[in-house]
Amino acid sequence: MDFALNDDQLAVEGALDKLAERFATSPVDFHGFALVSQELDNELEESQYFEIAAIPEMGPLSAALAVERLARLPYTAEIALSMLVRPHLDLELPRPIAVIENGRPGRYVASAKTLIVIDGDSVGIAHPTPDDVEALPDSLFAYPMGRLTGSPEVTPLPAEQAEAVRNWMRVACAAEMAGLLQAAVDATVEHISVRKQFGRPIGTFQALRHRIAECAVLTGGVRWLALKAAWSGDAGDAALAALHAQDSATRVIYDVHQMSGAMGMTLEMDLHLWTYRMKALISELGGRSGQAQAVAQHCFGASAA
Amino acid sequence: MDFAWTSEQESFRASVRQFIQDNLPDNWEHIAHGPASKEQSAFAKQFCGALAEAGLLVPHWPERWGGRDADPWIAFILAEEMWMAGEPRGGQYMNVNWIGPTLMLFGSEAQQERYIPPMARGETIWCQGFSEPESGSDLASLRTRAERVGDVYRINGQKIWTSYAGDADTCFLLARTSQGKGGISIFLLPMTTPGITVRDIPSIIGEGDIHEVFFDDVEVPESARLGEEGQAWEIVGKALSLERVGIPRFALASKTLADAVKLLQSRGSFGPGVAEQAAKAHAACEAARLYSYSIIDQRAKGIIAGAEASVGRFATVICERLVSEFVVEHVPEAISGAHPLLLAHHQRGIVAGIASGAAEIQLNLIATQFLELPREPR
Repeated sequence: MDFALNDDQLAVEGALDKLAERFATSPVDFHGFALVSQELDNELEESQYFEIAAIPEMGPLSAALAVERLARLPYTAEIALSMLVRPHLDLELPRPIAVIENGRPGRYVASAKTLIVIDGDSVGIAHPTPDDVEALPDSLFAYPMGRLTGSPEVTPLPAEQAEAVRNWMRVACAAEMAGLLQAAVDATVEHISVRKQFGRPIGTFQALRHRIAECAVLTGGVRWLALKAAWSGDAGDAALAALHAQDSATRVIYDVHQMSGAMGMTLEMDLHLWTYRMKALISELGGRSGQAQAVAQHCFGASAA
Repeated sequence: MDFAWTSEQESFRASVRQFIQDNLPDNWEHIAHGPASKEQSAFAKQFCGALAEAGLLVPHWPERWGGRDADPWIAFILAEEMWMAGEPRGGQYMNVNWIGPTLMLFGSEAQQERYIPPMARGETIWCQGFSEPESGSDLASLRTRAERVGDVYRINGQKIWTSYAGDADTCFLLARTSQGKGGISIFLLPMTTPGITVRDIPSIIGEGDIHEVFFDDVEVPESARLGEEGQAWEIVGKALSLERVGIPRFALASKTLADAVKLLQSRGSFGPGVAEQAAKAHAACEAARLYSYSIIDQRAKGIIAGAEASVGRFATVICERLVSEFVVEHVPEAISGAHPLLLAHHQRGIVAGIASGAAEIQLNLIATQFLELPREPR
């Protein structure tokens, strides 16, 4: 085992760090939820970042590292599905890609060129026209949310590919969540380091120190599980990573908002950009109980039902 | 980044598993009950002797001390397999993990010659004289005194909650040689020295695990001091960095969870609600496993993990708790003795957040050193 980045991964990380500099600060006049950057999307497309999972010396692990890194930015774009799910389908799928799960609204649905349509046990692919979709600009989720209003033709995927979609969606969810968790913890650490009450930074009070430290432990665990799952491609690893991601996020979101107080309630602090992205990811693929059933199936050798 | 085992590591793991299968007696699960029982300690000497003969007790030690300079991965794979089997090395795991290596770093030649070979042969049990009635997490406040009288030190005081003291041959003792945090020294103290009294304290962990140790005018020569006077803090810091991720508790927790799940599945009691709890515990075990591996990877590259070791330790505390609670809720008969290995895990797991530095102290270290938060006022 080797937990350090290899030269190729270091090169990707260095390039992404450089790219990220331009998207690292939210505009001072932005007081909304979905801070999307088409420029970021274009840069990633032009530099072929959406192809790295398919490059042998890079692979899905490098893609997961990229997803985690980019998820820490206040700006977002449709990244995780294109980087981690699309390469595992032997199909030409134009992006952006979005998921419609059991008819619910989804991220990037209104701009998607490809829809992954999950309906119960079946998974299919659709290519919607603008008339098939509608944006939901009032959503609190910090992604551009949309819903399906029409009935585009859905081509069902064979069972094996449907399973691959679920597995890699879990990896994508965990990798993105790892970055979101890290950004939320970083923002909270900064806040409690400078916010003073009773004459001292509130981060010197043990009640908060322990709480944020536990958040950091959970965050790092999600990252390792996501990277391991991306490396192995194993269905059990993917389910464990997604479960730990959704479970940890559920707790960390509450804690970081509690520690950030009223400041975290305002749209002046970026915290909501990460926590309300996490809240969107928490419900994916059946939420925690859905991932737990996948763990039971793949790790405990039986269906939970 | 690569999560694969090498073929050498895989074949080593297989050889350790085979050794365990060949050397654990049929009634092992009953011996394993109580990690420091007389029966387990006696078996551990026999088992560790056999391990030593097979070259599996201290493979990561230098050749000079009976090892083969194997890298830290080998030591950790060995530890994982031992813990999954219920830790048949008993208290001797401490010798292997940190007491031996600490003596190699800081011991005099005479101390090394006297104490390391018996450890490498699996013949000796040590105890750790750290905590006192008034001094646990705040170790710098300890009161046991070692007073220089002529050419000896005279030791007076009391240690408490000392594991393995009832059977220990030697104590790794912290005592005060002068005032202040810098006034603490370490002594390697044979437990047969006159003036030492050991009293067993009954505990949840089982027979023979926790003790009080009293020191009344115990005299030791200067040659029993490890390192210089006042060097304890530096030495203990090094020893604890070896110990914090020295115990792969997640491996036993993970095995325990798998055993409990199999039991529940066999009786048709593994419904979706139970499975969700089991899955969360399993994910926590795997997170702790990867954290621990990441620290072993650093160690293999010659990097001493700082606050990352505390992060990994706390991840292990989380998984121990989830597994322990799962067994209590869903296999409660284990706590009444129906499944000795599940009970043994419960008794070992209960100390995960307490032994070798309380979990809350780890959280403080994470806050200060890992997250770089401003320090608490003192």
